Amino acid sequence: MARRYDSRTTIFSPEGRLYQIEYAMEAISHAGTVLGVLAKDGVVLAAEKKVTGKLLDLSYVKEGGYGGSGEKIYLLNSNVIGGVAGLTADANSLINYARSAAQQHLLSYNEDIPVELLAQRLCDLKQGYTQYGGLRPFGVSLLYAGYDTHHQFQLYHSDPSGNYSGWKATCIGANNGTAQSLLKQEYKDDIEVKAAISLVLKTMSKTMDSTTLGSEKLEFAVLTLDPETKQPKAKIYRPDEIDALLEKEGLAKKDEDTAMKS
Amino acid sequence: MSIMQYNGGSVIAMVGKDCVAIASDLRLGNQALGISANFQKIFPVSDRIYLGLPGLATDVTTLVNMYTIKEEREIEPETFAHLVSSTLYERRFGPYFIEPVMAGLSKTPSGSFKPFIAATDLIGCLNFAKDFVVAGTASEKLFGVAEGLWEPDMEPEDLFETISQTMLNAVDRDAYSGWGVVVHVM
Amino acid sequence: METSFALTGKGYVLVAADTTSARSIVKMKIDEDKIKDLGSHLLMAYSGEPGDTVQFAEYVERNIRLFQIRNNYALRPSAAASWIRRSLAQSLRSRKPYSVNLLLGGYDVAAEEPHLYWIDYLGTSTEVPFGAHGYGSYFALSLLDRYHDPDASLEEGIATLKRCIDEVAKRLVVSPGKYKVKVVDKDGSREIEI
Repeated sequence: MARRYDSRTTIFSPEGRLYQIEYAMEAISHAGTVLGVLAKDGVVLAAEKKVTGKLLDLSYVKEGGYGGSGEKIYLLNSNVIGGVAGLTADANSLINYARSAAQQHLLSYNEDIPVELLAQRLCDLKQGYTQYGGLRPFGVSLLYAGYDTHHQFQLYHSDPSGNYSGWKATCIGANNGTAQSLLKQEYKDDIEVKAAISLVLKTMSKTMDSTTLGSEKLEFAVLTLDPETKQPKAKIYRPDEIDALLEKEGLAKKDEDTAMKS
Repeated sequence: MSIMQYNGGSVIAMVGKDCVAIASDLRLGNQALGISANFQKIFPVSDRIYLGLPGLATDVTTLVNMYTIKEEREIEPETFAHLVSSTLYERRFGPYFIEPVMAGLSKTPSGSFKPFIAATDLIGCLNFAKDFVVAGTASEKLFGVAEGLWEPDMEPEDLFETISQTMLNAVDRDAYSGWGVVVHVM
Repeated sequence: METSFALTGKGYVLVAADTTSARSIVKMKIDEDKIKDLGSHLLMAYSGEPGDTVQFAEYVERNIRLFQIRNNYALRPSAAASWIRRSLAQSLRSRKPYSVNLLLGGYDVAAEEPHLYWIDYLGTSTEVPFGAHGYGSYFALSLLDRYHDPDASLEEGIATLKRCIDEVAKRLVVSPGKYKVKVVDKDGSREIEI
């Protein structure tokens, strides 16, 4: 019976549900975790990478660009970092759309797009696929970590239905329930970036499937204000920087080879 | 009175030894009437490229942002020059009335940087000069002074002095340029 | 003939425009308001081709209002200036361009500072400490070069503005009779009598 309402994105089931949207959300809950924490003086984003392995060619990551290893955390505009969970191909298309929308705003108004407005732009697009015929919805949830002069630092989440909401700390993807209850316990309202970085890494290490953290499984980014220019500064960490950070936080993975030798 | 002289303004770029400089005046006018003494005509495109636009156009900078972010690397000055050129030629029969001047440092295969300058006319005809490029209402004067002062392989300090003197003395003889000068050295 | 001035001071922008509406050599109306309120902290003085002016001003007014309704926040002066400039620049390369010159004065509530933009019908836009359009600009700009003070109090600003108005009245053959003056500061915009 359910089949009849499964195949169309735009048709309600007799219980008043849109199955395709629910399936899309289900797909996301199996994806790599993305976690964000809003601090007083910045926003922190971390993500679990799923596509890993020794044979994966990551040489392009080493030079140029804006950092990151390009699976889950992307620069959407100079004042917004996006973290994606779900189908990577769908996410790429959305990221491209977001970057265009941000540049269009810059062209029209000569200012960085406000974070909420960017989230709205994407949600308008996503909502369209829940209503107009024949197409599959985007199987992607996003976290937006950003800064604008209207509301300073902000953290938003948007899902495949086109809903969005603002958060102090939130998590999407696999194990998001565990992570969120951990965040709920640990989060303090006047948290600063430094503490937020520790909180994010600690929560990630507890929720990720693998027991050890390392740059091959983790992406990490921080948005702060440049102390001199007072402009938002997005920093997406490179793999070696992530390892250095984990080392500093005392969460670095023990080298298996040395462990074996000893 | 041509439309190119309506607002006034001049830009020059020069090559030195492992360095480049670009300078512009700060005047915005309505023919002979001065409106603003702080009208920036030079825009940073990336850490390594500056673009000077005597005339009026904000359209180009947006294109470049998109390039950096999408390709996940910074655009090379040569590539950027061609981007500017093709953007202008798209409007061949209804052009933007600007004569862009670019200065940048391009990456060599060995990883070091090589000075680069270029200029185009209002429909995008590229001019890759080895010494200096000029544009704007004081261009004739700039050519003259630069021809006299420029020499090869100048150090950054000398290059700064040369481009500043060239600019100041050229705009002094041009009613449509002046009201302050800004210089960038890379 | 049509004249408008604007100047910034400590935490405010003063905008003045004459109130004459003329067809050829005949005055048709002497109490025309040529300064529009674009939201709570933004003023726009417009002059130029009759017809185009009101049409374009209303187009801007409604678009800025629409943005505010849609997004629950007002455009900052710099963003509004960019949008208006772009509208004029696009219009310039259309079949029938708007022939409108503007002075856009606003108070940026987020940064807590006043801003003034000089915009002409070609889509030239620049931020200025003071600006003027029309025949009056030839007298007012040199006067403001001498007397303008960016840190002046509102009273001092009004006094400087009066100097401009008096100078134009004294020297310009076709000087306008009356001016409407508005000010915008942290408390919003309002009209003031001079």
